[in-house]
Amino acid sequence: MKPPCLSALTLRVSLCFLLGVSAYCPASGPLPDSSTAPQSAAVAKPAASVAVPGPLRSFLRMAGISQKISPEEVLPLLARNVAVEGYQGRKDRIGRPTEFLILLKRYVDQADELVRLAGPEGVIRVPDCEHAGPLLAILGYQLQGTCGKQVALETADPERAFLTIDSGFPLAELEETLRGTKPFVCPFASSPVPVLFSPVDWVGAARTEGGSSTNDVVRLLLEDPVLARLYWALARMDSETAAAMKQFAGVASLRPFAPVLDFYGSHISIRNGRVLVPGGASAESAWKSLAGASPDSPKEFVARLLVKDDGWFAAYFDTLSRLTPARQVYFADSHRLQHFYEALLGRDSSPGPARPVFRPDPDLLLLVTRLQFDSSGQPTVPGDLQAWQQILRQKSDSRVVRDWARRASHWKSSEELVEAMFAFSRIGSDEGPLRIYLMLNAIDNVRPVDRRLSPQTVRLLAEKFSRYGQQYLIFSEFEGLNDASIARFLEVVDRLDRISNLTLRANALGIFQSDVGLWQILARQRQISPENLNDSWQRMISPFAAGTNSAPLLFDAGRASLQELSRAVSGKTNLSQDELIKLLAGPNQPHPEGQQVRQEMANRIQSVMESQRLVSLDTLLALGQGLNEMAQGKAAANDLLPLAGQLREFEMPRPMFTSSERSEWAAGFYNSRHTSLQTRTDLAKLIKSSDAGKQLADARGLIVPFLRDTLVGLNYAYYEPPGAQVLHNNPLFVRSHDFSGEMAVGGGQSWHVPHVFGTGLPAGGGAHLAGSLADLPFVLAEAEQDFIVPENVQALIWHELVPGLVSSSTLPRWWGVSRNELHAVTLYQRTGEELLAASAQDPTLRRTLLDILSGRMVPQRLEQINKCLQAGAVDDVLSRVMPGETFFLAAEFRRRFPGQTDSWGKAGAELEHLASLHPAEVSWKRLSDDFGVPHPALAQSYSRELLNLKPFPAFMGYSSRLLAESWDSNNLYWARLADEMGYAPVMLNRLVPELTYRMVEKIFATDFEDWPAILRAMRETGEEFRQGKIASLPKIDGKYER
Amino acid sequence: MRPMLKRYFLFSLAIWGVCFGSVPRTPAQEGETNIRVEVDMVQLNVAVMDSKGNYVTGLRPSDFVVTEDGIPQKVATFGEGNEATRRVTRNAPGGDKPEGRSPGGSSNFADSSSELGSELGSLVAGANVFILFDTSNYMYRGFVFAQDAIAEFVRSLDGPDRVAFYSYSRDLSRATTLTADRSQVLRGVRTTVAGDDAALYNALLMTVKDAGQNEGRKVVVVFSNGPDNASMVPPEDVAELAQSKGIPIYMISTREAKLEPVSSTVFKRMSAATGGEAYFAKTWREQQNAFASIRNDLAHLYSLSYYPQPNPNRGWRGISVKLVGERLKKCHIRTRNGYRPQGTRASGEGVASTSGSEPEAASSN
Repeated sequence: MKPPCLSALTLRVSLCFLLGVSAYCPASGPLPDSSTAPQSAAVAKPAASVAVPGPLRSFLRMAGISQKISPEEVLPLLARNVAVEGYQGRKDRIGRPTEFLILLKRYVDQADELVRLAGPEGVIRVPDCEHAGPLLAILGYQLQGTCGKQVALETADPERAFLTIDSGFPLAELEETLRGTKPFVCPFASSPVPVLFSPVDWVGAARTEGGSSTNDVVRLLLEDPVLARLYWALARMDSETAAAMKQFAGVASLRPFAPVLDFYGSHISIRNGRVLVPGGASAESAWKSLAGASPDSPKEFVARLLVKDDGWFAAYFDTLSRLTPARQVYFADSHRLQHFYEALLGRDSSPGPARPVFRPDPDLLLLVTRLQFDSSGQPTVPGDLQAWQQILRQKSDSRVVRDWARRASHWKSSEELVEAMFAFSRIGSDEGPLRIYLMLNAIDNVRPVDRRLSPQTVRLLAEKFSRYGQQYLIFSEFEGLNDASIARFLEVVDRLDRISNLTLRANALGIFQSDVGLWQILARQRQISPENLNDSWQRMISPFAAGTNSAPLLFDAGRASLQELSRAVSGKTNLSQDELIKLLAGPNQPHPEGQQVRQEMANRIQSVMESQRLVSLDTLLALGQGLNEMAQGKAAANDLLPLAGQLREFEMPRPMFTSSERSEWAAGFYNSRHTSLQTRTDLAKLIKSSDAGKQLADARGLIVPFLRDTLVGLNYAYYEPPGAQVLHNNPLFVRSHDFSGEMAVGGGQSWHVPHVFGTGLPAGGGAHLAGSLADLPFVLAEAEQDFIVPENVQALIWHELVPGLVSSSTLPRWWGVSRNELHAVTLYQRTGEELLAASAQDPTLRRTLLDILSGRMVPQRLEQINKCLQAGAVDDVLSRVMPGETFFLAAEFRRRFPGQTDSWGKAGAELEHLASLHPAEVSWKRLSDDFGVPHPALAQSYSRELLNLKPFPAFMGYSSRLLAESWDSNNLYWARLADEMGYAPVMLNRLVPELTYRMVEKIFATDFEDWPAILRAMRETGEEFRQGKIASLPKIDGKYER
Repeated sequence: MRPMLKRYFLFSLAIWGVCFGSVPRTPAQEGETNIRVEVDMVQLNVAVMDSKGNYVTGLRPSDFVVTEDGIPQKVATFGEGNEATRRVTRNAPGGDKPEGRSPGGSSNFADSSSELGSELGSLVAGANVFILFDTSNYMYRGFVFAQDAIAEFVRSLDGPDRVAFYSYSRDLSRATTLTADRSQVLRGVRTTVAGDDAALYNALLMTVKDAGQNEGRKVVVVFSNGPDNASMVPPEDVAELAQSKGIPIYMISTREAKLEPVSSTVFKRMSAATGGEAYFAKTWREQQNAFASIRNDLAHLYSLSYYPQPNPNRGWRGISVKLVGERLKKCHIRTRNGYRPQGTRASGEGVASTSGSEPEAASSN
């Protein structure tokens, strides 16, 4: 990255999206840095601006803002960071400034000084070393030694010097020029940035207490977090609405509503003197009734929206606004709108939903997003209403649930159940009735009508949800698993859970969950036929029901389970580890390129197994058999001793701490019991012993810990995130997986999603996972994500988004994708682009497209797209529309207007032709199944699906994980790139993780909801890929694999 | 592993092949069941000090006896300080004893022995110095002074050394990749930004891996406040990797040892295990002294390498380096004390297979 004195500031500037927050596209004014702005007829009217002291690059560094934003985003993001990061204490009061804000304010002062030093010309000039004094004094440095070739700079004033460094002042260049004869020349002028409304509005709205008398909007925002939050909120509304809001009562009057507007204001849209409400015009009367004001009277309606029920009404409005138009119609029915809201509100509106740091009620949005309907349009009910009445009676740990359980006895319709779920959405429990309902709905709705869950199964699943619920995602992924399979599973896990010996229990859980994990992989890859799902499942889990009360029996159960798995997938029971790995790597491939990719996938799995120094399955099973035979009186096989020796090959890493040091510095975290047990296992001694007798009969139990690790290792290896380091450098990582559940009372954690344990504890032996193998792809990505090196200084790579993106690239495989499918993905995206381009000249088409896109875009974005298309800025629009959106646009347009091909270009015509030849391969369902992302948190399923959602905001308990799962553009975009570059579909197995990894390196975001940063990173990665800079694939016969 | 790194590795191997030629070990007798084990050339950086703590210079390959698990090894290449490493054309162990030389401020034991072969070229002359700078919240208070100290260290590194400058907090930042251009490194130093958690051992692991991809001598210099609150990997894994790659780690802590016993323990043991040094330097003066000491070390380290003799041990292998002869009896040696052979290389991309040394095939039953 070039320092500001060496290059002109080159912030990314988009003509069309310029001033999108404050002005229409045709009225966009000249850019602050006009040298970088493309000229266009769209540029007409100057916008109000304020000056940021010094170069923008430095200011953005200090303000924690991405360098890749456009100038009009500077003040909104500054306001956001001040409101969120600037003050400690409650957000609705002025707390103590944080260190971040203190430094930012100091920087502003220092920058002011430097601007003054730069003079009217805006350039700092130091002709030679002798004249460096004034500049160095501001910078906080002094000369070390006398002027000359050896002179260097050293800190004189640490406070100032820190700002100098932190803001990226080109100190090294200054040092260099001081040593030579070349003068130091550094442009250092203030940078104008657009301001929403006008500076006067913000000066007038600033708090008056505290004695602030500045008219400088930047300083006002720094000193007033409420004003900053209001600015951030209004800046995300469409310009017409924001202007109307200001007009109602002035900016100052909106101050009390800054929190509500911030969280729930971005979907308020005022058009032609009325508020657009979820459900459209036909729902206006229902909203009027609920609000006590008509949408025809925006001032009154918005006022009610903001004040009613401490923000819950606004939250409700916002949540329903995020739905697709069809869903909105359902919820905005006057009866439902009223009843569902009353249920949500309950008896008490406190605490309001705008008070916490994050939005507090993710379950409300999940409920309305994922509610499923039957053919008559009624919400589906897993089991029946009686089952739910019973479930609620059993969940009596909450007053709200108890109240609804009493009412449930009178329920007549499924809507009453849904009504209760609105109430439960505020409970905020991972194990509450709403979570059960969402999970069971996800399981039930993938099943054909005639094979839905029985009420008995529903009750059973609900009863055991708090303990085993996080294992249930396998049932939503495989619709073929019937009630009997589910019941058998619950029976087996109950049995395993009751094993009293903790060591045995941990090994049993590890082996069982690993086998289930391997079955899941093979079934997902369709290597287990759909008609064999139930049989193979029950055969695979049943050995664990036969008796696992001792280690030898557990070994037998594990072996038998593996044999059943092998039989299901290959027809034979004695697969070698290499054969199993090859099967995990993927199904048989008919073509060389597929075979090559499959071998690479197998190599990767093998690589992890080697890095973890795990004993081969072949060795373990042969040992088990040999010991069995010896126990039956046969002579020891020749190879038994060498096999036993392999168990002793593993060595612990050379210890860096003594036992007492570990006890003192990592108490409760370092637990090597499982591994130590293995290093002490000496089967060779036993085999050589002439009087082993009974010991030999039990000896195979000693292999159990090794068997567990190898099976767990296969699961880890399959989901290896790209760029993984822990998996390859900490040989204890797999062995340390803690299945004991001892980290939670009752041991229930053994069945829950694992936590990463022991991070940042040098004496703790390294981090490891503790819990079950549920959600393993995400948790492994979580454990490995900090090894991804951001390309940009200060880039925010946030902790829930990245594992979500990475696991969406590691979990899916693309073995069954045809070339037609791959090409169809491209054509859908291109067709969407063609439609948008055509709409620039066709207002009618544009309205149609915007109507389609309204289900995926917030009003501000829709407005920007509209204005830009009006202005003919098609390229700007296409660079900012997500691949998922163009894909959806084309698909939905085809669905709504099947014969209307006038507006289509070449891609549209080709798509139509392809669809006529291969309708199944071009169908939405097929492409959704193959190119969608898994949604374990959002939709309680690992099945791939394109959900067509707006990017989810950050929520309490999820942070940006839901955003990651609502981001469905990556795989579509990577597929398009692969198709355009002529790669075979199987190459996606390699390309997708690699491109996703590179994309994450490039993310340069400002906040947890900064999805445009993801889009930028994705497109930059695509560009590098097109140029052959990354992810180049091997050539065969002088050509790229295709 | 990213493809760019992989390409670089292949390029490195190609160069290595030109310099050394490929010397595959033939399998043992035909008909035996052979296990093919890939063995890296083992590289040692050896500091030799006399009883007064002065560096001993001018030693020859035959002055050293290297054993691995007690098995005598043949020194394959040899170099001293910043001079180019040379291939040893005569068997070192059991060779002529060195003649006594005139010890001075640094003891000199040089003679005109011709046991060294051709130069290996400039690629392996000098050291590749990887600096890892702590920019976490722990370093916040002394950040600007620490940056000055590192800038001074970079300026003072003369000779043919190439320098890379990395920084870390929660994530690693490769501010300046390996270069001989000091001004580029200084720009990297001056663009660091402070803040966030500290994942020292994550970052050090990545740094050692990067360093290991380069030919010739390489060292890692860590400048840190000490604590780690975000690493996934333990220091043991980093130390083992550095030992396996033959990379000494020098660790400068800007915090007093007694204030952070965990980190100070790691710093001491990790540097000792890899053949580096640990310094606890709270003040500017102490930091300057620490850097001067590292500089001095780099200028006086002997660089030895050998191809391991057949050794069935696939686990930890202990290395012993001793000096031959009465005159050197009182000298002290500092080098790594062992290594664990890297895994076999049949596997895919994820494997850390870029040790920068020549793979060869050995055989054992």
